[in-house]
Amino acid sequence: MMAPTDLSDHIDETKSVDSGDSAEADQLIKDELLVEELLVEDISIDGMCGVY
Amino acid sequence: MSHDHNRMTSTGFDADLAYRLHPKVAIRPEPFGALAYHYDNRRLNFLRAPELVALVESIGDHPSVREAFQASGIDSRRWPSFEKALRSLAESELLIPA
Amino acid sequence: MTALSDQMKAGLDAPICLTWELTYACNLQCVHCLSSSGIRDKRELTTIQAEAVIDQLQEMQVFYVNIGGGEPTIRPDFWHLVDYSVSHGVGVKFSTNGSRIDAEVARDLATMDYVDVQISIDGADAATNDAVRGEGSFDTAVTAMAHLHEAGFGEFKISVVMTRHNIPQLDQFAALADRFGAQLRLTRLRPSGRGADSWNELHATNAQQIELYNWLVERPDVLTGDSFFHLSALGDPLPGLNLCGAGRVVCLVDPVGDVYACPFVLHEDFRAGNVCDAGGFASIWRESSLFAELREPQSAGACSSCGQFDACQGGCMAAKFFTGLPLDGPDPECVTGHGQALLQSAGPLPTSDADHSRPMSVSLGARR
Repeated sequence: MMAPTDLSDHIDETKSVDSGDSAEADQLIKDELLVEELLVEDISIDGMCGVY
Repeated sequence: MSHDHNRMTSTGFDADLAYRLHPKVAIRPEPFGALAYHYDNRRLNFLRAPELVALVESIGDHPSVREAFQASGIDSRRWPSFEKALRSLAESELLIPA
Repeated sequence: MTALSDQMKAGLDAPICLTWELTYACNLQCVHCLSSSGIRDKRELTTIQAEAVIDQLQEMQVFYVNIGGGEPTIRPDFWHLVDYSVSHGVGVKFSTNGSRIDAEVARDLATMDYVDVQISIDGADAATNDAVRGEGSFDTAVTAMAHLHEAGFGEFKISVVMTRHNIPQLDQFAALADRFGAQLRLTRLRPSGRGADSWNELHATNAQQIELYNWLVERPDVLTGDSFFHLSALGDPLPGLNLCGAGRVVCLVDPVGDVYACPFVLHEDFRAGNVCDAGGFASIWRESSLFAELREPQSAGACSSCGQFDACQGGCMAAKFFTGLPLDGPDPECVTGHGQALLQSAGPLPTSDADHSRPMSVSLGARR
């Protein structure tokens, strides 16, 4: 199973952006999250516990 | 039955081409989106957004992936993540060239 | 985005796969049998009742069913049910000791789509294996493997329950799988069924758990059924969902139609209902109070101060239950040793009302 994306990295990146108002900063953070979305995860069909 | 675990080398996903769901793929809705299971190669994928599920289910209706995106109503800023998702589904052969 | 694991823990609309024990009858008497099999139960589901279960699995889009037992191939309608399942969109893997797989059966299997075979052994040689599974059982299994290989079946599975005695044989198991073109699958011993009696002598030592983990990290091609998620505290997680699937992603249907959270908790406390109840399997999966409880967020309990809890999830519910440990606390084989300490003061061990063992026969070959 993949480890969740470390969101704090994205927040650090966006801190250095010069943004006037906080709504814009929020949107930039949201954009970063959107780009990094992991929308598909491949798991082995044998990858669930409780099957012998 | 023999399970061929050798994976086909990636033939390169091209958004200008037409793709469709492999006929042996089942898509099963779940609260988070859907499970997609390929009965022949036994690959199991979690589709983690309902918009992705809709895109995948409609992709065979369009002459290219690009046009499927355009018809999808998905915010264009999200297209890179969605394309990455389609690319990995193609790599697992859940999506195949139409 | 919520972590996938959190979404899994809340339960799926249908199982991804489930284990279905077709019969408690068995020609073997493995020492650690999790279902305490041996003697057929008179209340076994009829063929019609079994077909009704498959019909529901099809409606729910369960992708495949792991058919086991006892020894499932002993059921006279076994091949009919396999065929019924596949023709109703539910793939089959069946777990067998190999006693009914002769050359002809192997050739038939090689022609079947969506049917997978898993042969069980517990040692890489007859001495180690037969000490657990009975004299001659290794030869039977290997003969079946040879037939499957000869018939061009392809990658069937060889499944091993890891014990103190066979962990030293990891490389030999890999060689055996290579020899027959099979895929190796290693799973965890739980103190369930007859396993409760032999667990103290058979379960891995701490050092062996580390050895096993390190070996598995180097061999991502070896399957584990996600049964070693308690070892994720040792380092990078092994492949798989890394969480308890019981009642959330998988479950078990037993030969009389009782539905349990998973194969390792065949005990009334983890029985969710019976498929012959109104609404059948589907309503048990969707509405039983047991499964609703398992889908609630679980308390870390005594593990909440341990930094490893996110990785190991507190380990296996069955392992805790059958060693008398509280469910909201460490696994008896917790890699940090927290579980071992607790075992000293563990409560009385639970016993199940479902014991289908045959009366003990003469010694099962060399015992260590």
